[in-house]
Order: sequence, then structure tokens, then C-alpha cells
Amino acid sequence: MWTYLRKRILQSALPLVAVVLGVFVLARLTGDPSKLYLPLNATEQMRADFAERNGLDRPIWEQMGDYFLGVLRLDFGESLRTGENAASMVLRAFPATLQLAGVTMLLAIVIAVVIGSWAALKPNGIADRIVSFFSMVAAAVPDFWFAILGIWIFAITLGWLPTSGVDGGAAVWVLPIATLMLRPVGVLAQIVRGSMVTVMGQPYVKVARSRGAGELRVVTHHALRNAAAPALTVAGDLTVSMVNGAVIVETIFGWPGIGKLMIDSILQRDFAVLQAAVLITALAIFALNIIIDLGYALLDPRVRPASGSRRSSRPGAHAEAGTGAERRNENGTEKKAAAHV
Amino acid sequence: MTISSPRRTTARIAAGVASVAALGMLASCSVANSESAGGGSSSDDTLRVVLQQEPPTLEACDANLTSTGVVDRSTITEPLIERNPTSGELEPLLSTEWEQTGDTEWTFTMREGVTFQDGTPFDAEAAAHSIDRAVNGDLGCDVEGYIFGETDLGVEAVDATTLVVTTPEPDPILPLKLSFIEIVSPETSADEMVREPIGTGPYAIDEWQAGTSITLARNDDYWGDAPAFANVEYQWRSEGSVRAAMVTSGEADIALGLSPEDGIGDLGVSYPNNETIALRFSGQTAPLDDIRVRQAINYAIDREGIVSSLYPDGDVVAAQLVPEGIVGHNPDLEPWPYEPDEATALIEEAKADGVPVDTKIIMPVRTAQFPKVSELGEVLREQLSQVGLDVELRMVDTTQHLQYQTAPFVTDEGPIAMLIQHGNQAGDAQFSVEQYMLTGAAQAEFGDPELDALIEEAAKTTGDERQAAYEEVFAFERENVVALAPIAHQTAMLGLSDRVSYEPNSSTGDELRIKEVSPAE
Repeated sequence: MWTYLRKRILQSALPLVAVVLGVFVLARLTGDPSKLYLPLNATEQMRADFAERNGLDRPIWEQMGDYFLGVLRLDFGESLRTGENAASMVLRAFPATLQLAGVTMLLAIVIAVVIGSWAALKPNGIADRIVSFFSMVAAAVPDFWFAILGIWIFAITLGWLPTSGVDGGAAVWVLPIATLMLRPVGVLAQIVRGSMVTVMGQPYVKVARSRGAGELRVVTHHALRNAAAPALTVAGDLTVSMVNGAVIVETIFGWPGIGKLMIDSILQRDFAVLQAAVLITALAIFALNIIIDLGYALLDPRVRPASGSRRSSRPGAHAEAGTGAERRNENGTEKKAAAHV
Repeated sequence: MTISSPRRTTARIAAGVASVAALGMLASCSVANSESAGGGSSSDDTLRVVLQQEPPTLEACDANLTSTGVVDRSTITEPLIERNPTSGELEPLLSTEWEQTGDTEWTFTMREGVTFQDGTPFDAEAAAHSIDRAVNGDLGCDVEGYIFGETDLGVEAVDATTLVVTTPEPDPILPLKLSFIEIVSPETSADEMVREPIGTGPYAIDEWQAGTSITLARNDDYWGDAPAFANVEYQWRSEGSVRAAMVTSGEADIALGLSPEDGIGDLGVSYPNNETIALRFSGQTAPLDDIRVRQAINYAIDREGIVSSLYPDGDVVAAQLVPEGIVGHNPDLEPWPYEPDEATALIEEAKADGVPVDTKIIMPVRTAQFPKVSELGEVLREQLSQVGLDVELRMVDTTQHLQYQTAPFVTDEGPIAMLIQHGNQAGDAQFSVEQYMLTGAAQAEFGDPELDALIEEAAKTTGDERQAAYEEVFAFERENVVALAPIAHQTAMLGLSDRVSYEPNSSTGDELRIKEVSPAE
């Protein structure tokens, strides 16, 4: 397990550095921020002062070196736009996105598993047709359209929900999550249905039935586990794209998350914030990928990492995975607690 | 394949789901928590305003930035003198009177009995500190660049109520320029920007919840009339239809920056915003270096058609860079007529003289700069190609647009006719012509020596003479230079709930004076 983790961390370090440096260079190729931050009639002198004040007058490799050393000391620089510390802006925004993504994916998975399995019970039956139709619609509906329509129906016409914002209790979560959940539910329900149909035709399911297991029991205890791997792959990808920032939902609903922050910092050529946001997102995606890998291992013994050969380490690794995004090093106790399987 | 024990499978799937959940729950620094149920936002005492974006800062010397000024100006901080956006007159605020006491010297009398929100008394010394900080310092304040440029001011507090300001050159509109400087507490650092200013205004900053809202509380020690609302809450949504929805659903009282298709309905109020849209030519690159081609473009644009089909809610066809109401606006200038035949003839004539009229002209247009901007770009491209020009519409973002807009200009992409939107919020044509028409100015790609002389003379004049001098500048430019193709003077729209009454004016988008908002009768 530890070998595996170490290997993954080393493997990810290089891409991380490449991402950080790539963003650094690419962002600077997209235009001179001094024109954005100075008044339209700024003089040559003011431009020079601005460049000097923000270190933009030095050769790019020197700026890059400084930035990189800064990152190693966890100093991400200051926002050009607000003058605030870039890291604190990013750390303030990221939890908002994680909350949104986490709750959305949790609900999406539960709903998709339930309706996908239901549809798979009788392929081409009435339930299957209903589920297939709605899941395809859900996966295909443009989210900005759905969001605006949702606001129009539920906030303006019916007045049941607030239009947007983060203040106002549980109600403010409904529309953003409903919008964000559409695609994952639609896609995952299709996948769960597909793999369940396959699995339900397998001999071991027949064996289970012949031994007198009820249909519900067959589904929940025998079929689901084997049908889960493809769904996990897709759910992982969907989660990654959400952690990357649910830009449209965050923008429409005024949700102060990382996607909105990132798009703003791109448009504003706010290099320090953009770099910090990309770095933390990359880290999160890296952590998430490890979690997904561990999830596979949990579902299917054949893909368990070779180094994690001692059985007792795996469930522990999983418990760690749950919290891995935030505290990678505190898993000792959970490991023990969960090592009973 | 082994058949796994049923109990174990369930446990594992549950654990898998739980791990995804944990990802969300771990991020528990709650951003959207259920406890903060709207604060005072439902209270009758709170005015709720929804802006297009979060102010990047509230630093008072950056109040020339629209998104900062709209919150700061005349609400949190106040200037010495305020320009009445409707009449154009200067009105006393923190300074009660002022006069020119020498060629380059002005004397201002300070209002007495005013205190800052931190309790510090306001006096000439405090005013001097604020002016010095904003104009002469190294902070890189927006007001410095926008209004004063390289010019430094001499500021001296003669006594508690007398401030003397000296300029390097005679400046007849110094009081107008000073109306852009917001006065902040003398405790404000002169060496660094301060995100939350302390001013003398009717409201003080109560809480800034980054990313979410800014709340202001009434300043009970305000020197003037107490404003109607006890609190102001600003939120921001970048989507216009959401801002409109917040007003129609009763979540907000004022929504700024709406367009007619945002669905605000009867609650929308249109008002002129002193913005003018125009094409600006790179007059040093063939074929745009030929005045006939620039004239042809002016003849080729169907301004009436554009205004009536794209902007029927109050925009008017433009003949010059500034609208009526700005000092120097020339009421005798007629908009260029739509004469495509004339345009074609001019282009043919130029072609016969060897002007490469077939060269592709780039037309940079900024995405989402104002409502229906991309449609306008398409229409312009089409109308210019109707008269035989080859135009490439290039939709760009703000930063890219600015690369074209200001010096140093883009010179390696051939001829450029860019769509600009120019707002004159100062009320005086000087701010427009010295940016767009003076040779070497930050937004003038070319100029004309005779026009330069007129512009420089005009700047020194006052009163009726000034009006006439700038009228002459606009007439001369139109006749002999044609650096621009003015298209329309715009209007803006805000949403206003039934709860409140407010009369928007041309500077509402830059300074929303909360003290002018009152509960509806």
C-alpha cells in the first residue's frame, strides 16, 4: 500500500510541476495585464511603474524561478486584482466547490444506482423505458438552460426557492445541485443499467436465484458489486470535472467556488490566483484519482495494487482514501479500525 | 470468480458511497451554511442591491473603477465637490466653496463639523492627505492615471478649513478633477492600498463576506441628512437574467446592468449612461490611411437601422463621441447619413488612385461588452462588406481588446477598425478628445496637427468659450480627420423593486448614491 502511494505521488509530481509551469507561461502569453489594470490613458511611465511593482519587467524565467521558490515556501503571491493573498482566495473558494461537488455526486450515485438497477430488472420493460428516456434527457439537457428555467419556475413563478446565492438555508442548495446533478444522474443511470443487465445474465446470478435468493437480494448482494466498476470509472471522471469547478452553475447561482474564481482570474489575467487555483485543483484531482484507484481495488480483487498484498492493509487504505484529500497522514487509526474484513 | 459474502459487498458499496460523501463533507468550512438565514436581508430596513460583479477592492483611490466606485462613491466616501450628473453643475460636498486664487492656484474651504467613520475629525489636513495619497504617491491609484496622469498637485492645508491646491500648469477644471478624489480618514496608510476605506459618507462598511456580500450600516454621525435605509446589502451575480430574477422575485431592490432581454418586465428603468459606441480606425495603415475609405465606412453604416432593430429602448444615433449634456457636445453636427452608394463611389475612387481597398480589415469586438454586441459586430461587418470592403470580425475578451485599444497599438495585423465603447463620466469633452483625437494620446492611433492645436487651445478655456472651442474640435474632426465612425449613444437599464423609489441618472452605473434611494410611497 505504502509503496503504491509513494509511487503514485512520485508519478504525479512531474505532471504537477509541468502544470504549474505551463499555466505560468501560457497565462503570460495571453496579453499584458497592465492594459487591464491601468486606466485607458495610462502613460508609458505608469506602465513601467506597474510592471516594476508587480515584477513583470523581469525576464520570464526569473519570474518563474521566483514563483517556483515561492510555491515551495507555500507563498503563492498576491492577486493583481484585489491585492489579497492568492492562496487565501483559493482556499476560501475551494471548499464551496467541494461541498457542492460532494453532495451532488453522492446524490447522483444513489439515484443512479437505484433507478439504473430498477431499469435493469426487466430489460425493455416499462420501467426500463421510462428510466432510459429520462436519463438520456437528463444527460443531454444544457445546464445553463435548465438553471435559468429552474429559476424562472421555482423562484419567480412559484416563489418556493431563492433564485441564487448562498445565504438562506437548505433551500439555496436545491437549484444548484439539481442542475449539477442532471448529467451525472443521466450518464450513471445508463451505465449502471447497462452493466446490471450484463451481470444479471451471469451464471452466478442464476446460481444465487436457484439457491432461493429474492430478487432484491440478488441485485443488492450479488449483482451490484460486479456492475459497479464501470460506474465508478465514470463517476470518478464526473467528480473530477466538478472539482475542477462547476463554472456554469457557480456563475449563474453566484456560488463563490473555484470555477468562478478561475474563470474570473483568467479573464482578469490575475496570474497569481490562476496559478494557485490550478495547482490546488491539480492536487485535488490527483488525490481523487488515488481514491478512485483504491475504489477499484475495493470492488475487484484482481486490480488490487501488487504491493498491497497483505489483505489487512486494503480496507485501511480505503478509510484513508475517504479523508485522503485533506489529511493524508492521519490514517493510522482508521486503518486499524477498518481492518476487519 | 468467487461469490463474495453478501454482507461484505453491501458494506463495501456503502463505504464507497461514503468516501465520495466524505469528500464533500470534509470541506466543512461552511460556505453555504444553513444557519446564516439571510441575515437582515428580509428586513424592511435593508436596501438590497445586486451588482454585476464583486468589487475587486473598495480602496477609495481606485473608485474610478466602475465596480469599486459604484459602492464607494458618495456612499462610503465622499469627495470635496460633487458633479450633478443631470445639470453638470459642481455642487459643494466636503468643501463648501472654492475659488481660483492665482493662475495655477485654487483655494477650497472645508465643511466644518464633519467626522470620519472612525471618529477622526475632517479638516483641510485630512483632505490634503487624501489628495496627496491618491495623486502624488506611488500606489498606482486608478484616479491618478485616469484623471491626473503625470501631473502632480501641490496641496497645502493653510488652516483647519482652508486648503490650497496648486497645479504645474493653469487648469480651469481642477475642481471637476478633484470631484473624482474620495476623501479618506487621515489614519489611512499612505504606503499601501486599503481594501476597506473609512470615509465621511452616510454609510460605513459593516461586513465584507468575501465572495458573497458586502453589508453597510448607516453612519449615525453623518453630517448631512440621514439616509432612509439603516443597512445596505450588496450581492453580485454575473448573469443578467439572474439579477433581474432577484428583483422580480423580491430578493433584491435594485439590480444594475440589465438588458431588455433579461426579463425584468415593468420593473426595468432605462436611463442614458453617457456611453457612446463607435468604430475607431488605425489611420496609419492602408487602406484606412485614406480619408475616403474612412468616410466610406461612415456612409456604409445604417445607424438608424442598428438603433431601431438592436437598441430600441432609448439609444440614439450618434454624430460624435460625446452625447448631449457633456460640455463641448456639438448640437449642430448631424449623424453621418446612410448612403451606401456614396460609400461605394468613394471606395472606387480610392481604388482608382491605387489604394489597396481589398486588404482585409480586422474588426475586434469585445465579447459581452454591452448587450447585443456580437449582433452589432455582425451587422457592421455585413454593412461594410455590402460596399465592397473585406472585414474580418474578431470576437475577443477584455484583455485582448485592450491590446488593440490603447498604446502601444497592434501594428502587425494590418488595418484595424475596432468597436469601442467610450464613457465620458466627467461631463467635459476634454476627457474624450484628449484620449481619442490628440496625436500620441493613449487611444488615438493617429492625429492631425491642426486638430491638435484646436484641442490644446480648448483645454485652456472656460465657460461659453470652452463649449464653443470643443464644438469646433468635433466639427473639425468630422470634416477633416474622421478618426472615428460614431454609431450610437447608449442607454443602460436597472431593475427597481416596488419597495423603493430611485431616479437613475447618467452616472448611476459608476456611483449609485444610496442616499438618493428611498422607500416607495
